[in-house]
Amino acid sequence: MNPIIQVSNVRRSFRSTKKEEGLKGTFKLLLKPEFQEHEALKGVTFDIEEGSFVGLIGANGAGKTTLLKILSGLIPPTNGQAVVLGQDPFKRAMSFRKSISLVMGQKAQLWWDLPAVDAFELLKAIYSVPEKLYRERLDTLAELLDVKKLLNTQIRRLSLGERMKMELIGALIHWPKVIFLDEPTIGLDVLAAHKLREFLREFNQREKATIILTSHNMDDIERLCSRVLILKQGEIVFDGDPRKLKQSDECRLRLRLMESPAASDFAAIAHVPETAIEISGPTANGPPGDVADDEGTPSVRITLKRTQIAGVLQAVLAKYTLIDMTIEEQSLEKVIQRLYESGT
Amino acid sequence: MNPGPDTNWRWRWAALKNGFQDATAYRLEFLFEVLGSAAVPAAIQWVLWYALFTLGGATEIAGMTYMDMIHYTWISLLFTQIRGGDHDFELQEMIRSGSLSTYLLRPCSVVEFVWIRGVAPKLFLTGLALVTGLLLSPILGLNPLNLITAMGFALIGNIIHYQLGAALAAVAFWWEEGYSILMVKNMLVSLLSGELLPLTLFPAHYHWVWKSTPFYLYVFAPVQIAQGRWTPSEILTHLGTALIWLVIGWGLIRLSWGAGVRRYQSLGG
Repeated sequence: MNPIIQVSNVRRSFRSTKKEEGLKGTFKLLLKPEFQEHEALKGVTFDIEEGSFVGLIGANGAGKTTLLKILSGLIPPTNGQAVVLGQDPFKRAMSFRKSISLVMGQKAQLWWDLPAVDAFELLKAIYSVPEKLYRERLDTLAELLDVKKLLNTQIRRLSLGERMKMELIGALIHWPKVIFLDEPTIGLDVLAAHKLREFLREFNQREKATIILTSHNMDDIERLCSRVLILKQGEIVFDGDPRKLKQSDECRLRLRLMESPAASDFAAIAHVPETAIEISGPTANGPPGDVADDEGTPSVRITLKRTQIAGVLQAVLAKYTLIDMTIEEQSLEKVIQRLYESGT
Repeated sequence: MNPGPDTNWRWRWAALKNGFQDATAYRLEFLFEVLGSAAVPAAIQWVLWYALFTLGGATEIAGMTYMDMIHYTWISLLFTQIRGGDHDFELQEMIRSGSLSTYLLRPCSVVEFVWIRGVAPKLFLTGLALVTGLLLSPILGLNPLNLITAMGFALIGNIIHYQLGAALAAVAFWWEEGYSILMVKNMLVSLLSGELLPLTLFPAHYHWVWKSTPFYLYVFAPVQIAQGRWTPSEILTHLGTALIWLVIGWGLIRLSWGAGVRRYQSLGG
């Protein structure tokens, strides 16, 4: 299958003025402005197959939104090449614009003072959607998102979640082949975010649309994306299945012991670094931890690779009396956090 | 490859309807805006003429009597609301805030889209002003055909006003802010369009100032035509000037937006 999106060594830098603090800085900016260059993307390369649901993850300023802007054709790359639907996005050909959609969770695309249905009517005309098809799509989308009753309400009178759903309808009414979603669940409550996720999953599966999603909400990524790209300071540090990311990484082994070990002793015995150990409850030479949480017995949590579990258990059992043990699944958020904190 | 002109008239019609719906979403606000912005220049003119003719004792200024001035004020009211609104300000704000992004990705010209949405209430006002003018024509001594021609000029003025504003708004692509330049343009328009005072009041050797801008086509020219002060050949000459300005405006938009969009950074998230 040919990739629908091809990104090859894409770089993007921005130039902005730098203002020093206070009044002096203000005058300096007026008379002799200083500029700074910021490289938002540093040679990003990847392909995306048609019908994929891909998550773009990264801390603030990692380059996620910049990448979406390049792919949707809003800005050109400084270097490298991006090809979407076989076209250079920045040329913004009519056929390209009719085939994509960009939803920015923080930006309203509909008209504040009008009911959503008026905005959809206008979008129908802009995208030349035939009347019958428009009615069918509007019905489907409004039904899936549960907003049928709100179509005639002024946008400004809707809640954030309802507004976001309307934004999505507006973005999908022309049935785009590629959808870029930038933080679509930002500010939504749990229920609204869940509904939106369900809808996106169904739309992706039913229509085989390619969806690229950026989100700080790991629930969005875990539940929707079969592939994630993790960006760190403008570079891709992971590209693959999010489950693989969790599996290939570490897990947490939780042990309840009769004894109260010191972290340093325990680390030496278990052959793991002391930084990988958390001890709660009374310890041999430290302040008591969260005793209530661990029913008065010391509890040790060790972050380690799955392959290390047997060895660690063997070493620990030789020295301590074990009451019980559990292997805790690492949350994607934790894995990513660790990936970010590590030097890689 | 040049995709050629966009011939989808449905979106234009839909944008026109949408613009009208948006402008009239708040009926009282719409009414207040129309009446308020028409009344203020008229009030300024009235105070000025009262000061000059009644308090100052003048009987004629630049060949115009007190009654001529009042007549001018009344007729100018029919046209002041037709010249563009503040949609050039909307464009510069869209560039500045990054909300232009949404429009750039839609399959239609953003500059044209914003104009069509903005002109919708103006077309409504044109109709209203035309009906009012025709009803009052016996009192104001206006020829209906002249009035219709004058309305046509006012509408061309609306397009030129927006074209120049849109081209100026593009400075926001470079400066990240274009508010001041649009404000200065609007002040010049107030002075040189004839909405505050008849342009014949300019000293004769400074007439070139208003003649060298297209602003006189917004209010002054329609008033002259409505009052029957211009001969048909003069009207044709000024129509030619208006058409030249339309072409200049179109060219300026193509140049400024063509270059500007390449610099657009889509800031703000």
